[in-house]
Amino acid sequence: MENNPSLKSGLHENLLALKQRLGESDDLLVREFQSGAGGVRRDMVLLYIDGLAEEKMIQQFILEPLFQTETAAGGKEIVLEQLPGYLKNSVLTAGQVAEVGQQEPAADALINGFAILLVDGCASCLKICMANWEQRTVSEPSNQSVIRGPKEAFTENIRVNTALIRRIIKNPSVILKNQQIGKVTKTNVSIMYVQGIADETALKEVNRRLSEINTDAILESGYIEEFIQDETYTLYPTVQNTERPDVVAAAILEGRIAILIDGTPHVLLVPALFVQFLQSAEDYYQRADISSLLRILRYFGLFIAALVPALYIAVTTFHQEMLPTQLLISLAAQREGVPFPAFIEAMIMEATYEILREAGIRMPRTVGQAVSIVGTLVIGQAAVEAGIISASMIIVVSITAISSYVIPEFDMSIAVRITRFLFMGLAAAFGMFGIFIGLLALLLHLSSLRSFGVPYMAPEGPITFQDQKDVIVRVPHPGLRKRPSMFSKLNPVRQRKSKGKNGS
Amino acid sequence: MAANMTFKRIPILLSVLILMLPLTGCWDRREMNELAISLGMGIDRVGKKYVVTVQVVNPSQIAGQKGSGSNESPVRTYTAEGPTVYEAIRKMTIASPRKIYAAHLRVLIFGEGMARQGIGKSIDLLSRDYELRTDFFLLVARGTTAAHALNILTPLERIPANKLYRSIETSEKAWAPVTTVTLDEFVNDIVSKGKNPVISGIRLTGTEDGGSSTDNIKTTRPAIQLENNGLAVFRKDKLVGWLSEMESKGYNYIINNVTSTVGHVSCPNGGNLALEVVRADSKMKGTVKEGRPHLSVELRVEENVGEVECSIDLTKVRSIQELEKRAEERLTRIIRRSLDAGQKKYKSDFFGFGNAVHRSNPGYWKAVQKDWDERFEDAVIDVKVNVKIKRTGTVTNSFMEDKEE
Repeated sequence: MENNPSLKSGLHENLLALKQRLGESDDLLVREFQSGAGGVRRDMVLLYIDGLAEEKMIQQFILEPLFQTETAAGGKEIVLEQLPGYLKNSVLTAGQVAEVGQQEPAADALINGFAILLVDGCASCLKICMANWEQRTVSEPSNQSVIRGPKEAFTENIRVNTALIRRIIKNPSVILKNQQIGKVTKTNVSIMYVQGIADETALKEVNRRLSEINTDAILESGYIEEFIQDETYTLYPTVQNTERPDVVAAAILEGRIAILIDGTPHVLLVPALFVQFLQSAEDYYQRADISSLLRILRYFGLFIAALVPALYIAVTTFHQEMLPTQLLISLAAQREGVPFPAFIEAMIMEATYEILREAGIRMPRTVGQAVSIVGTLVIGQAAVEAGIISASMIIVVSITAISSYVIPEFDMSIAVRITRFLFMGLAAAFGMFGIFIGLLALLLHLSSLRSFGVPYMAPEGPITFQDQKDVIVRVPHPGLRKRPSMFSKLNPVRQRKSKGKNGS
Repeated sequence: MAANMTFKRIPILLSVLILMLPLTGCWDRREMNELAISLGMGIDRVGKKYVVTVQVVNPSQIAGQKGSGSNESPVRTYTAEGPTVYEAIRKMTIASPRKIYAAHLRVLIFGEGMARQGIGKSIDLLSRDYELRTDFFLLVARGTTAAHALNILTPLERIPANKLYRSIETSEKAWAPVTTVTLDEFVNDIVSKGKNPVISGIRLTGTEDGGSSTDNIKTTRPAIQLENNGLAVFRKDKLVGWLSEMESKGYNYIINNVTSTVGHVSCPNGGNLALEVVRADSKMKGTVKEGRPHLSVELRVEENVGEVECSIDLTKVRSIQELEKRAEERLTRIIRRSLDAGQKKYKSDFFGFGNAVHRSNPGYWKAVQKDWDERFEDAVIDVKVNVKIKRTGTVTNSFMEDKEE
């Protein structure tokens, strides 16, 4: 660390030092006053940052007690060295008060919304938590919505977020460990896990990777994700992120570890496996049969999103004999007069769709309508009528576009979409043969990935039969007796065998 | 030093290899609008040359947007001749803007003249070429050329080749005299010494010409039509004659190729009664007794009463039994007629009794397989028919019966 000077005993010396540390910022408010607390009237200075500390609370919990306490308890005078301790213990009515002896922590406390109380003659100061700044209220999740299930989502405030999780798991075994990452931003990063379920080695690994981050700024969970992920050069996410407290609660109860980052409503979950990106929180709230069918549908959607344009290109340009005759004739009829090869046609439409999608996210809300009219009418209808694109290609692109959104996690859906383009290229050059080589390569790649030591394709590769009950189908909750074995083997049993319906 | 140099060259070599990969790409890539999708092919013979006719689909006329008012024909035929079938097909590109694509071939038609000369050599290409599937039907154009048959436009199914395919397929399931033969079945029959091939025939009905104009399909009753007609009997790969409707029926009963059909029997008191076959199961057996082949056909049929046009009391068990007896007699007659055609008229075992003998007595078969067709001529054939009448429909006796009482 750089030089970390201690506080001096002179009041103005300290005040000046702190002011200088903050570069004479104009939002640093200084309140000089005298207080008789401790028996003798002394000069004191209260410092805080406008907007971070709450004015009303400062009045009520710091100034009022200091002004009203004229004498010490028992009429005895408190010696100067004990005064901060006395103030902390007997005068200040605020909840979080601590003594600080150095300049740097005091400055840190200031910018974290603490008020700093300097006392003339004391070589230490008190930091009093007055933090209360404007924040977004807890609202509905915008990206991971469900029909049945809690409708709360995380906010940008890490304390609100941890509280949301604690409100779901009311158990002292839920452990929260805090640290600051980012030399400049000093972002609060917390890991949360359930003691006795989370795997110790995984926990150590997470801590090690977090401690190795040496960067200026952590502005969002994405920064952390890229620093701690196992494999950088892959399309597929090995760290899950969610904005739902219930998902985090379920994950840490399975033995996974949550990483909360201040300033973002996205919480990271590790280890993250391939199959988890195809599971939605709702799978556990809906009836088991319904959610099993929906999961199967999602896997189906995954294959459609990744492969259908490629299969279309391969079949129509290499393997026409695979099509039923009637279908071949009607596809051939649609292609009459289309100037581009099927591959170029598909690339044009897929690229157009991706542009539309990206524009849809970035554009100002007010121009939304204009863009969607241009998108649907001009590109969809006119392209077919003008004979540039065949109608069947529009159908293929539409079904793929829609299918990619049945994948609940956006990271996975985007990975699948990029994979689709690779497959299209392979299909255009090598037909079915290319697609199968590509599939094989993809499977090898996915199997080679690890997420915090856990094989990415688990529990399918390596296969664990015990864990199959919550992969493609979800068995009803009474059947989910054991936690998934790939995360932790500490405390495998979730529930004892239930003893009949009437609880006898 | 030299070794070092080689190591340095490895990345270059690798990238050259990877860059060579795309060079092979797309070598058999064909867009769908570069294909002349041919669903029907016909082979005739003129002198020493093959005349090959191909019926190519005009996709925009078949599946184009509705209401495209042009009157183009839904198909186009190309004809070319050459000393081999392959050459003739390739030669078609001088007239056709697209290369003939035959993977979706539905029917292969032989002119009768060609079939009488032998068709074995001409189908080698079709079974050898990787592009073709072997599941298309073979047909013989009775009394005309394949080229002529392929030039007829048909209503309803706008692609004539598809019409032939569909009608023979439906007919086989609902009408006993029709049978389908695919290329691989035909080849199997030619290769096997115990069965001669049979191919379905098609016939043109109506006036002689005008079938190739779209005018032909604009009326309710086209001037010239294509229909399935009888079976062509082959000895090896040469056509030797045709089976009548009744003989064809018998043939299908014998080879166990009847799914459902309708036949009739005469009632004890005159008039006819139609019986619907709902299930037919036959067994062909061939044994050797005293050095002579001894063949048998066992047929078990389940029937329903379909139509009553005579006075008979169907509520009586006795009359049902009577009907069963009559149906058995009639089926035996049909089968006998068919067997006679094979044994006497065409001297050809197109039923496959030879294969049955082969299975039961391989040693004997080895000795006789060369002149099996002659042995077949004077073989003894037992015919056993068992008919069960199961149901009489939604009424018992004819309502005409009630009226008379």
